[in-house]
Amino acid sequence: MKKLTLSMLVIIVLVAVGAWYSTRIPSTPLADVNSSELNASELIAKGEYVARASDCVACHTLPDSPAFSGGLEMATPIGSIYSTNITPDKTHGIGHYTLADFERVVRQGVAPDGHRLYPAMPFPSYAKLSDDDVKALYAYFMHGVQPSDKPNKQSEIPWPLNMRWPLAFWSGLFTDSGSYQSNTEQDEQWNRGAYLVQGAGHCGSCHTPRGLAMQEKALDESSPQFLAGALLDGWYAPSLRNDVNTGIGRWSEEDVYQFLKNGRNQHAVVYGSMTDAYNNSTQFMSDEDLYAMAHYLKSLPGDPLRDGEPWQHKPTTVTASMAAQDAAAKTYLARCSSCHGTDGMGRGQYIPPLAGATSMLAKEDASAINVTLNGSGRIVSHGVPDAYRMPPFRQQLSDKEIAEVLSFIRTTWGNHGGAVKVQDVTELREKTDPASSQVIILQMR
Amino acid sequence: MELWNDMKLQINQQTYDVDVAEDTPLLWVIRDNLGLTGTKYGCGLAQCGACSVLVDGEVVRSCVMPAVSAVGKQITTIEAIEQDDVGKRVVQAWVNHQVPQCGYCQSGQVMAATALLKATPNPSRDEITAAISNLCRCGTYNAIDAAIDELAKPVGGNA
Repeated sequence: MKKLTLSMLVIIVLVAVGAWYSTRIPSTPLADVNSSELNASELIAKGEYVARASDCVACHTLPDSPAFSGGLEMATPIGSIYSTNITPDKTHGIGHYTLADFERVVRQGVAPDGHRLYPAMPFPSYAKLSDDDVKALYAYFMHGVQPSDKPNKQSEIPWPLNMRWPLAFWSGLFTDSGSYQSNTEQDEQWNRGAYLVQGAGHCGSCHTPRGLAMQEKALDESSPQFLAGALLDGWYAPSLRNDVNTGIGRWSEEDVYQFLKNGRNQHAVVYGSMTDAYNNSTQFMSDEDLYAMAHYLKSLPGDPLRDGEPWQHKPTTVTASMAAQDAAAKTYLARCSSCHGTDGMGRGQYIPPLAGATSMLAKEDASAINVTLNGSGRIVSHGVPDAYRMPPFRQQLSDKEIAEVLSFIRTTWGNHGGAVKVQDVTELREKTDPASSQVIILQMR
Repeated sequence: MELWNDMKLQINQQTYDVDVAEDTPLLWVIRDNLGLTGTKYGCGLAQCGACSVLVDGEVVRSCVMPAVSAVGKQITTIEAIEQDDVGKRVVQAWVNHQVPQCGYCQSGQVMAATALLKATPNPSRDEITAAISNLCRCGTYNAIDAAIDELAKPVGGNA
């Protein structure tokens, strides 16, 4: 009897502690700051820059809707959730937030009423934002954004899966608390780059592989998994480490800078969700910050074991006589060669090469299939839409033709990504068809 | 975008100085800046081939070629194709077979056929099919095939 009472007591205490832990409103280091004083125009302008670097627009703004009024649908296997209105509207937006409320949402994923945010909001990354940047961001959202009275949409996840308190344990396990701490062994530029890549830039949301609980396996360079490339939403987000094949091992810091500044360089052009990240975020960042990001990324070592044999260019020209013998070469000549060249070398920075392309070297072939089926999005660089864009071949090529031509590209010019299965093209065709019942709606941004 | 003042392009054995952004498609330079309107704009996506020109003897869809990529190369458009021996024979075959109907795609078709015959003087039927992927809305494909077939036969042969 005594034993039973004791164990009952232990259980009750554990439940009580658990309940307190998972429903508490955590403390914030910014509790003592007077929110109403954060309205200086320089601070608002700085906040706008932080919002650009954080790409808040990507999820919180829909095309043809007021800026930051939310409503983006993100499908999860258990139902859809919607991004929220973060304009300063007092009823439907975040106009009633104090700085402390704002800090908890952005860096800790806890709303003012104590409910936990789904980590679709990249708060594990934003946790690294400095106090100063959080204050600036707050000033911008309170005073630099037009209020919108667009109501929020309710999440469609059914009870009991819609309970938020378990997310407190998720956060406890998978996030690091505290903003970015400078690494004293590295210089100022490296630290600035690390701060931007890990924090505002939340590059890891797409480029770091995720674990079973959908947590990013690493949040900084202490692990070789950080930014090591990940498959999500029908795209392969390549490694941002010095991997020769699947990463940026062959890129210089200048190449990385060009990619973030112009959306293109001699090696690659943005596609998939990176187009949004470029259109809304990286192109607006200062040269100094972009060079810092490039400097930091180029400091991350590659992993030859994961990355495989380094790509070696084997020049080949696809000719009519090759094409007469081989259906895949024929498709290449008719459909691909006009832009990417009979030699697979593309046209400078304007049309990317296929020889040595990450998507043709990675064993994950999702990006190669996806961009062939659906083309690339519109790149708007400094207000000017791109002149050259990958067209969609969804209507023109069959699954078999796409599999054949991609297998050809992935095994020519020294590329060693390997063959593409017809089945995988069929699947991705279905999943990226907006009319299908199993369409991927969430594009992690 | 950077402006290239004084971009020099070699077109039909002439040097032209043009002042365009370096990513301007070659087709726009040829048609709009230089007024060589024999080369046509079709789809703008390298799908149809109406804009085909020769760059260093190879057929190129000029709507997707940044002008800067053509600097230092010899560009040939339909206006000068008869100054080329092979091109001249192609045009003659086109006339013999009365290939064009509306004619819009035909300058591109002639360029593609010329490039093929320059690279492969006696192409097989399969090589012709593989190399000529230009579209024709009038459906002149049979006439095009007949014209190229005539040219593909070895001289003096009876294949």
